[in-house]
Amino acid sequence: MSKANITRRRLLATATGTAAMTGGLVTWSGPWKHNRVWAADRPIKIGITSDASGQYANSGASDRRGMMMAIAEANARGGVLGRRIETVHIDTETTPATGSRVAERMISREECGFLVGAVSSGVANAISQVAQKYGVIYLNTNSSSPTESGENCHRVKFVWDGNGANFAQAAIKNAVESIGGRFMLLTNDYVWGHDTARATRGLLDTYGGEVLDEILVPQGTRDFSAALIKIQQAGPDVVAAAVGGDDQKALRQQVAQLGLGAKPAWINNQQDWPDIYGLPIDNLFGVFGTTWYYKLDLPGVADFVQRYQAMYPDTRMRVPGNVFYNGYMATSTLLDAIERAGTTNNIAVIRALEGHVMPAAQRMQHHDAVIDPDTHQVQQTVYLATANQAPSEEDDVFKILAQSAPEDVRDQNASKGCKLESYEDTPTFDA
Amino acid sequence: MLDLLPHIINGLTLGLLFALIALGFTLIVGVMEVINLAHGSLFALGAYLALSTIGADWFADTGFGTWWLGLSLEIRYALALVAGPILAGLAGMALEVCLRPTYGKAPLYGLLLTFGAALVIEELIRLGWGTGEQSMPVPQMINGAFWMAGLIFSKYKVFAAGFAILVILAIWLFLEKTPYGAIIKAGSHDSEMIRALGHDLGRLRLLVFGLGAAMAGLAGVIMAPIWGLRPHVGIDVVIPAFLIIVVGGVGSFWGAVIAALLVGLSVGISGAYAPAWSMMSMYLLLIAVVGFRARGLLGRKTALEA
Amino acid sequence: MITLSDIPARAGSPGTPAMVLFLALIATAPFWLEAIGLYDYLGIEIAIWILFALGFNLLFGYTGLHSFGHGAYLGTGAYAFGLFQHHVALSLWGGLAVAVLAGALAGALVGACISHRRGIYYALMTIGFGQVFWFSAIKLHGLTGGEDGLLGIPRPDLVLGPWRVDLDDNTAFFWFVALLLGLAVVGLWRLVTAPFGRVLQAIRQNETRARFIGYDVWRTKWIAFTLSAAFAGLAGGLFAMAQESAYPDVMSLHQSGLIVMMVLVGGGLVSFWGPVLGVVLYFIARDVLGGLTETWLLWYGLMFVVMVMLRPEGLAGMLHTLRPRRPNAPIASLSAAPRQEPG
Repeated sequence: MSKANITRRRLLATATGTAAMTGGLVTWSGPWKHNRVWAADRPIKIGITSDASGQYANSGASDRRGMMMAIAEANARGGVLGRRIETVHIDTETTPATGSRVAERMISREECGFLVGAVSSGVANAISQVAQKYGVIYLNTNSSSPTESGENCHRVKFVWDGNGANFAQAAIKNAVESIGGRFMLLTNDYVWGHDTARATRGLLDTYGGEVLDEILVPQGTRDFSAALIKIQQAGPDVVAAAVGGDDQKALRQQVAQLGLGAKPAWINNQQDWPDIYGLPIDNLFGVFGTTWYYKLDLPGVADFVQRYQAMYPDTRMRVPGNVFYNGYMATSTLLDAIERAGTTNNIAVIRALEGHVMPAAQRMQHHDAVIDPDTHQVQQTVYLATANQAPSEEDDVFKILAQSAPEDVRDQNASKGCKLESYEDTPTFDA
Repeated sequence: MLDLLPHIINGLTLGLLFALIALGFTLIVGVMEVINLAHGSLFALGAYLALSTIGADWFADTGFGTWWLGLSLEIRYALALVAGPILAGLAGMALEVCLRPTYGKAPLYGLLLTFGAALVIEELIRLGWGTGEQSMPVPQMINGAFWMAGLIFSKYKVFAAGFAILVILAIWLFLEKTPYGAIIKAGSHDSEMIRALGHDLGRLRLLVFGLGAAMAGLAGVIMAPIWGLRPHVGIDVVIPAFLIIVVGGVGSFWGAVIAALLVGLSVGISGAYAPAWSMMSMYLLLIAVVGFRARGLLGRKTALEA
Repeated sequence: MITLSDIPARAGSPGTPAMVLFLALIATAPFWLEAIGLYDYLGIEIAIWILFALGFNLLFGYTGLHSFGHGAYLGTGAYAFGLFQHHVALSLWGGLAVAVLAGALAGALVGACISHRRGIYYALMTIGFGQVFWFSAIKLHGLTGGEDGLLGIPRPDLVLGPWRVDLDDNTAFFWFVALLLGLAVVGLWRLVTAPFGRVLQAIRQNETRARFIGYDVWRTKWIAFTLSAAFAGLAGGLFAMAQESAYPDVMSLHQSGLIVMMVLVGGGLVSFWGPVLGVVLYFIARDVLGGLTETWLLWYGLMFVVMVMLRPEGLAGMLHTLRPRRPNAPIASLSAAPRQEPG
């Protein structure tokens, strides 16, 4: 019993305070040696770090619903390792500085053993830096910046969404072959935009396309008419757009106004479901990527949609989308990993997640997915979609054009940029 | 040069829209010496209220709602174009009542109060309409594109720019040709004298603030189909509005219009050559103009400086 | 309405009861923070923002110059600290010195462009420059990491002669911040009670009169701006250490407006300690209310609006008017308003 009285906080203080100087002292001594330290009555606490205000408030809410459904289902099955799961949510405000503070609070005051949730890569970064300091496992559910599993990867961080490079892989070859090779790039002038554009250029070299011009638009651009005029003057076959957030929403409005959505062909990196839900169909232009759609013709999907509707009968969004899906899948896979590890020891759980293969049936995708042990990004099926001109029901706005197996869309640069911290440098504790 | 022409046209269009955004702001600053940081939130509020008017959000289940939704989109849109700004104007009047204790104190208090009000309005929008993106429906006749001289133009933008010209002229006529306008203009020169002459200063302020807020709301309704609609869309408004009045000169009507056209042109033309810096060009214009002319292009000394 | 000048300051001596209480509180915070439901990291952020707010109030409350772009100098300090660690040397004192210098330099440049301005034009120009800094931070991603921020900024060890203290632990880092904050508070207190502080207040009360008396108003305004930017730079350097990264958000208009809100709600216009109260209230409200409701900003905004309407002298002003036991204090403050000299 005396062992159980060691508070989590003291353990953390020891771990972090001494990790740097006496790395050897706090060495990990194998996950199975000191498992079951905690009595079964102590709940597992998960911190939910999704944005509830700011640019990604809407996606953050969807993300959180996904996590909550996974947790509710696990609790209904009797919890994990016989322990109940509790959650605490604090708004990260789509602001990195807030992300840092929220992570600190969740770990040191709320004593959360795991953190889950992100849409903005800036916030995800900020949280994961804090999480790595304490060794707390953090799931980046929905931020699709390639740097998340590249140069900013961490041992404790796992990335669940497909990234810009994955979606580009899926779309470019298809477009060069079926539409034409004269491309124009419309790129948001920041890291995610540049990374995605670089991936697109590399792929165009491979598949024999050419870049006529690249138009950089600064973040915060609300008027795209200058760019649209340039595009219209140059007359490319395809415009590959890497424009995100509110900028993309304004772009979508203006492309729809001009009726430029069909010609030239547009390739958008990814359309998050909460961003387009409820908008008129002409707002959905071009071809875009997604990791999941509620009308995929696979076993389990219909049941999943029903469970969503039963749990959230009053939500404006009547069917789940990719953001919800990622939140749900990430959380349920984490809980499953804890069960498989037989302990909440963070290093043991990390090892249970690394390289873990998730069968296609469980993922409700066409191919098995795997958590890449070198980058911690989930390598998964990527779908290409476009607006559905013949919807079977009001919400059925995507038409899935193609699917790509994980190995075909792998982000080749990620493993070069990513250097995970060693297990020894990651503080260890039992959540 | 021929390649540049569309960018110049585009810049002028953008400038007219900026002028629409900035007019209510400059009206309130000129007469009341209040920097209304809630301008952007009122902009968003006007647009959301217009959206709800078109979609009959609050009365769809009533008999009137059914009849209303049976009307054509053109009629509903035209009425929303009136209803949104009026409701935003009423909200602005409520804000003016809150502002009363700050009169006679440093202009800072008005600025702070409206900053707080901006937070409150934005949160209320989140509560009332949700956090997600919404789309404002536009009648078919002003939707879509047309071709002219080998170039594509958005019908809606042409409509919006034409509408902006009409509104600018209407406001100008109101200020120049009506007795109310004369009082407002006099009020911006010397509010004490207005009171001494027997005019009700309180009512004048209420009217001006209501009008300024309604202008913000109107700009919101017009811009929503271009920028999209989300609770924090107002953030995109305050900065250009503020920048335009500083460049144009605080309290100057034509100064604001000229400054708005300049800002539009600088964004439009830099968009042709260095699109990555088009946003920055606004701020550079500000520093360049204000560096040479301390009070902006057509500014004059006001009590705000003391 | 009461102002800073109405509260008599004991000339020069830092030994006021409030000062002793404040120093005692920050020196012991790690021992009682957890007991009242807070945590060390929150203490660090509060201490850093108090430092920022007190420096800001030198300009805002004392000199009466309303800057709405002060986040820019906090951000500048944070980036300067991070870039120094990444590109020059891993050094605590070097990094902080560069952060202070960078903040001061940015402040001196902007101050030189705006110190001949008054009133709302001054405020407008600070917004304009603040936006330029904010936009540049996002734009120059080669240097600043753009929107994603400058990541992986280390917390270098504190080296004092033979002593070497690891600041990775939040408790140790809190004490370091508290130490700097204590020194800064004593220094600022000396500054505002010195003749220089009197000149600042003279400018606030009537700039023209101060000029006619013979003070170099432009230079004093410039110095006040530069000094407050230097404090912001120091706070920024510490903030970069606390977060182990630097982000452009702190430079946005929104964040710059929040510091004004905090200082005003606390009562920075009427008391040296106003900013302290304001920062503590804001952070604790955010931490406690933010954990309970997602619409906490609505309630905070409403509270702020009501405060500006009814009690613009803020918390410190309320405490001050409570002490002499004037039951009609609200009426007194309202009726006093028109007596203020115009503008």
